[in-house]
Amino acid sequence: MKIKEIIQPIQENLQYPYKLKEDNDNYGNKILWLKLDNKKDITNVARVIANLGGRCVTITVYKANDIHFLIYHLDVDGILINVEAHTTDNTIDSITPLLPSANWAEREFREMYAIEPIGHPCNERLFLDESITKGVLNQYIPLSKMMLGINENDILWERVEKENKI
Amino acid sequence: MSKKIAIGPFHPELEESIYFKIQANNDKVVTNVELINGFIHRGIEALTTQKNFMQNLILTERVCSLCSNSHPFAYALAVEKIAGVKVPPRAEALRVVAEEVKRAASNLFNLAMMSHLIHHHDLMRETMQTRELIQDLKEIIWGNRMDMSANTLTGVKYDLDDEKIELMLKIIEKFEPKLKLLIEQYENDEMVKNRTVGVGILSKEDAQKLGVTGPVARGSGINNDVRVKAPYALYKELKPKVTLRDTGDVHARAMCRLGDIAEAVRMIKDVVSNLPKGAVICEKRPHIPAGEATVRIEAPRGELIYYLKTDGTQKPVRMHWKVPTYTNWEALKVMILGNKVSDVTLILYSIDPCISCTER
Repeated sequence: MKIKEIIQPIQENLQYPYKLKEDNDNYGNKILWLKLDNKKDITNVARVIANLGGRCVTITVYKANDIHFLIYHLDVDGILINVEAHTTDNTIDSITPLLPSANWAEREFREMYAIEPIGHPCNERLFLDESITKGVLNQYIPLSKMMLGINENDILWERVEKENKI
Repeated sequence: MSKKIAIGPFHPELEESIYFKIQANNDKVVTNVELINGFIHRGIEALTTQKNFMQNLILTERVCSLCSNSHPFAYALAVEKIAGVKVPPRAEALRVVAEEVKRAASNLFNLAMMSHLIHHHDLMRETMQTRELIQDLKEIIWGNRMDMSANTLTGVKYDLDDEKIELMLKIIEKFEPKLKLLIEQYENDEMVKNRTVGVGILSKEDAQKLGVTGPVARGSGINNDVRVKAPYALYKELKPKVTLRDTGDVHARAMCRLGDIAEAVRMIKDVVSNLPKGAVICEKRPHIPAGEATVRIEAPRGELIYYLKTDGTQKPVRMHWKVPTYTNWEALKVMILGNKVSDVTLILYSIDPCISCTER
């Protein structure tokens, strides 16, 4: 697939201002960087990628100056499209209904950064125990609690055993 | 009447901690699967932002053991992209050699696990004995059976002289007929076929939808091998031949892995026989300015992506990676459903899961 075949439908479907940059990796493979002004456009991009038979590789999230930046790494036939969106109210529309490959990545940022992917079909925790509050990466927490959700009153094995007795 | 079965979080058939809650009917056929993860989450991504760029080479090599070469390889590519550094051709070649040696060893380990789970212990022993040749090679060249410490920023930490190349080619000469025999056995052995053909099927449509990669995708007829789709290092010239199968079952995934091993051997021989001359590392230590980069490589289990953001200091602002198991894992729900409870761990291992990589 040629990069123009990806750029054109994306540009046609975006509703808000954006910045688009073409780049190459060190071996000449094409990479796109798309910065969205409005997070609402992320579903428009996802729809185009889904129509082109693409997938969501992963999503990177980081926080700077109280703003959460989300970089969606999408792929269409080996061409990488990095789409940056930002949120100030800890919500963003889920792209999982359009690209099921985004399922885990959205669930991960929900529990790590407390950003709610609105319309995500799955509400269960991905890695962290339900006893741990969302947005755990913004606070200090013992590693054993982070991994197993254990505390002095509730250990993992007790719950596993209890569940299996029912 | 349905029966609840728990496998994990700690179980003799599980290499790492995971927890399956399974429901099965009277015929012991799985009717519902729930997967619970997070037991090996170590917060490594957060830790990388507290280490400098050289220290992160060591840290990324320890995310996982079987693909321990792939992590620092991808990480180095990301740093080099931001620093605008072009790695010497000899270093590119040596990176491919290390990566393909690891690919062969990693895939053989998974195949040995598969033969163990189907109780074909002769085949398991033969697979592990064949793998041992590669392990010997790793010990001789890199001084370690798992963490080879081959990659560094702007190059590699090892070199091959004529004596070492001759030794490698001799070991490969012994390895090749054994591999040929294994391919034949895995393809035609009745015990292997009875337990793996038609088991744990992932259709091409589901594979596409779920975004699976590596041998899991190729077993379902999808080629998204990064070495082919977005070639890096020397792969454009080496033109890896990808094995594709369309049955999407445990057997297909195993055969794709064997194809990967055969191709790894072919590429190692090609590269060491035509090793470019010159330096193995850039002379000047790079300045790493503010910037961001996304790079991908094909790890033994599939696509590995690294995102790196820097601000001109000696430590990353953010580093994130996604390993093949991260997306392949969700496909297990499709693969396991409708299969016998006794095949659950076999199906699990057919994606060659790496939980340490996935949870970080």
